[in-house]
Amino acid sequence: MHPISRSSSRLCECLRLVLVIAGAGGALVFTGCGSREQAESAAQAAPKPEEILARTPEVHGVEVKSVELTRPLKQDWVAAGRAIYDGKCLACHKLTGDKVVGPGWAGVTRKRQPVWIMNMITNVDVMLEKDAEAQKLLEQCLVRMPNQNVTVEDARKILEFMRHNDGES
Amino acid sequence: MKPLPPLVRVILGVAALSIGAAYVLPIWEIQLWAPQYPEGLNMKIWLSRISGDFEIINGINHYIGMRTIKAEMFPEFKVMPWLGGVLIGVGLLGALRGSRRWLRAFAGLLCLTGILGLADYYRWGYDYGHNLDPKAAINVPGMSYQPPLIGYKNLLNFVAYSGPDYGGWVFIAVGCTAVALVAWDWWHTRPAPVRP
Amino acid sequence: MNTRTYVLLPAALAFSGAAFFSGCKPKQVVVAPVQSGVAEKVYVAPGKHDEFYNIVSGGFSGGVAVYGLPSGRLFRQIPVFSQHPESGYGYTEETKALLNTSYGPQFWDDQHHTSLSTTKGEHDGRWIFANANNTPRIARISLQTFRTEEIIEIPNSSGNHSSPFVTENTEYTVAGTRFAYPLDDEGSSPDVPINTYKENFKSTVSFVAVDPQHGRMNVAFQVLLPGVDIDLARAGKLKSHGWVFFSCYNSELAHTLLEVNASQKDKDFIVAINWKKAEEYVKAGQGRKSRTKYCHNVLDEGTHTATSTVKEEVIVLDAAKLPGIAYLMPCPKSPHGCDTDPTGSYIVGSGKLAALIPVFSFDKMLAAIEKKDHEGEFMGLPVLKYESVLHGEVKKPGLGPLHTEFDGKGFAYTSFFVTSEIVKWNIQTLQVVDRQPTFYSVGHLTVPGGPTTKPHGKYAIAYNKITKDRYLPTGPELTQSAQLYDISGEKMKLLLDFPTVGEPHYAEAIPAALVAPKSKKFYKIEDNRHPYVTKSEKDARVVREGNVVRVYMTAIRSHVAPDNIEGVKLGDTVYFHVTNLEQDWDVPHGFAIKGLGAELLIMPGETATLKYVPTRVGIAPFYCTDFCSALHQEMQGYLRVSPANSRVPLTFGLGDTAK
Repeated sequence: MHPISRSSSRLCECLRLVLVIAGAGGALVFTGCGSREQAESAAQAAPKPEEILARTPEVHGVEVKSVELTRPLKQDWVAAGRAIYDGKCLACHKLTGDKVVGPGWAGVTRKRQPVWIMNMITNVDVMLEKDAEAQKLLEQCLVRMPNQNVTVEDARKILEFMRHNDGES
Repeated sequence: MKPLPPLVRVILGVAALSIGAAYVLPIWEIQLWAPQYPEGLNMKIWLSRISGDFEIINGINHYIGMRTIKAEMFPEFKVMPWLGGVLIGVGLLGALRGSRRWLRAFAGLLCLTGILGLADYYRWGYDYGHNLDPKAAINVPGMSYQPPLIGYKNLLNFVAYSGPDYGGWVFIAVGCTAVALVAWDWWHTRPAPVRP
Repeated sequence: MNTRTYVLLPAALAFSGAAFFSGCKPKQVVVAPVQSGVAEKVYVAPGKHDEFYNIVSGGFSGGVAVYGLPSGRLFRQIPVFSQHPESGYGYTEETKALLNTSYGPQFWDDQHHTSLSTTKGEHDGRWIFANANNTPRIARISLQTFRTEEIIEIPNSSGNHSSPFVTENTEYTVAGTRFAYPLDDEGSSPDVPINTYKENFKSTVSFVAVDPQHGRMNVAFQVLLPGVDIDLARAGKLKSHGWVFFSCYNSELAHTLLEVNASQKDKDFIVAINWKKAEEYVKAGQGRKSRTKYCHNVLDEGTHTATSTVKEEVIVLDAAKLPGIAYLMPCPKSPHGCDTDPTGSYIVGSGKLAALIPVFSFDKMLAAIEKKDHEGEFMGLPVLKYESVLHGEVKKPGLGPLHTEFDGKGFAYTSFFVTSEIVKWNIQTLQVVDRQPTFYSVGHLTVPGGPTTKPHGKYAIAYNKITKDRYLPTGPELTQSAQLYDISGEKMKLLLDFPTVGEPHYAEAIPAALVAPKSKKFYKIEDNRHPYVTKSEKDARVVREGNVVRVYMTAIRSHVAPDNIEGVKLGDTVYFHVTNLEQDWDVPHGFAIKGLGAELLIMPGETATLKYVPTRVGIAPFYCTDFCSALHQEMQGYLRVSPANSRVPLTFGLGDTAK
């Protein structure tokens, strides 16, 4: 390539980069404002979690459509779920309600729909991109929940362990 | 016969003195280009020495068995400064004495020097390009590497140029001037035509 | 008119005429500008992928570099024979063993050629083989992880240049001795005067078998040859399958000033080795077991750890005593490149001092062997008659031919160092079709799939030895430079210059489609069998074993556990066994501790170990060195080092447990 045209194309790239950054900044400011309002209104009215979910439809791709919950809990799933939790989740999520890196798990099965939980585990990138609730959590925690490459089957076992953690039997 | 007119004598004197420039300016230059030497390699020949990239040229040329260029290779360097002095002396003498004979001697000597110089350079180039080391790493059958006398020439991957440098141009200019003076003087002093 | 004037005037005319005689400057002096419209051909839009991986040797960088084609973008430097601080290669406890040799650990080498594994002579996208020239070794690199998985030392060899070229189905990767040296019957290198070269110095070519399943290498046998300098090699394919052709120089057997003394003979040799025949001799027990010593280092993907074993025996076949293994084909003037065409019918020798390119015919070679059409013997090996094995010569192609690649359309592309150009010629007619200058002085060249039976063609890449003014200057030391040419048309077209790391010698390019889909994204934590793995943060701990302190550490965005450690004393050796608990693509974590000049770069699911011997009392902070998340800066911790006689108990923690 001719040196002049190369440097000019590099200049173009730089300009483009600046534009992208500016655009992204704008978007951040914009979403920041929007969600703060949402958060405030949520705090004032203190609606039940189901209502929140009803107001902002869940968006989580096609990963998990429905989850069948059964009772009593499958104890082998609970045990398997705990083992996966130890390796892939424990570093960030406590079993109490305390937030460490991510929110504590106590009460999560009462706050969130099973489908939402399952998708948050298996399909976290789509959730963080499109689901308003997931985005809200990202704003609070500031760390993108990592995709830990958990299969749908394993996620179901983690869900069983969460139910056990929330006192179901 | 009348002595040379003053103007001719002044020009002759200046021309003779300007040969002195050849002592501080290169006479001849050789340039080489190749894809990997886009900036060119340059070698200059002076009255009594060589300068420039001849070491690099030596480095390249030894692969094909050409001899190493160095000052000792040219016995001419011992003669040329004296020759320049003789030329200046003859020219000055002509100017001072206003002698037509000395002017013509000056012009003749200059032309002779030019021709002999070129002939000598050709002889060196022929030897340098043909007399190759039989033990050389690269031996291209039928190939010789004589540099051009004047102008450009392709030698394998190189393009070579050979031609006068500033000092050479001074010589040429002085030579032309001297010849022009002789011609001018001849024209003005020619015998009147004999009328029948 | 005065008679004297008749003499003077023509002389003056000659004088001035000569002065103005200079012809015009020939066109080839002026560098032709790049044609318009080439920018689109090399532009790969942001986010789009290149068409080829270009696997380029790193020369004195000791590694292999991966570029994209046609963009020339550098993707990755794979550390192989040299330590690589940016990934901890050669610094971590897991990778140290890969650099073991019988001479002790080697932290640098000179990596010259790459060879991609083939099946039926075609690229199969499994492995990269790479040679070390200085301390002879061959490495195998996985094309799934782009990591060095195995390095085997070549015994009885020095200057492993004609390597690591593979045979048709990657049965073998070969090695050869560029620097012949004394070998006695025991295979060791005895103490002899250098001027006994002719009697004592020998060369070997080694056949390193490659396991078709997992790629493990094993020096199957070596062929003992006279003390010529074995330079390059190419395996036969299709009809010539079962043979490997090695070029050699210094048939003069010179041991000093080779520049002159090894350039005297008109012809050196191409050594044709029949390895199927050699296998028969090995099977029949005709090989001599040579006692020697060499290292074999293997990285276990399950434990992420390399182990090194020392081997002490190799089978040697003496080509002068066992007929039918080796034949010599005379090849003009110190041949360098030795390349077989995609049909396996022709062997192109490139005499680096020759002004022609000889092309040998495999069929004619077989016939000459059959008819015993010898022109003599060299140190006990039959020399076939040049005219009998010759398909023909490419006449006046240029000066200093080095290497030849093929496009699969019947054309060969030869690099010329001295005349700095690539010359395209027709293999059948031996006519030169096109020539393009390179900037400057090309060494190797690559056509994607060029050495295989099915070249992918499309591009030729020149690896130039001289860079000069092609880029902005950076002082005396400049980048190395490669150039990309479009060879899809009849005429070659220069498209792009791109800088390269190290000094690239040979490179192979392979279609991305054969490699990219299989590329590994992360290591599954479930499959991690590292002896010091920590699979859950709750198992993170610090254990004292005498003077050794083992830190079982986990890393996940954005903390390590434990991050407060006390009770380490001067005189202790601390091992940080850090497991990256992430299970997503492209989330490595780094680890470094103050006062230690090395780091870990740990891929998701991997465990890596840094050895740390504290040298002073005090607090040593440690932290994550790979920007991993918004809270990366917070990913840090402290190690307290106490005096040797202190009674500080060993404690550790994270968050609540550290309070």
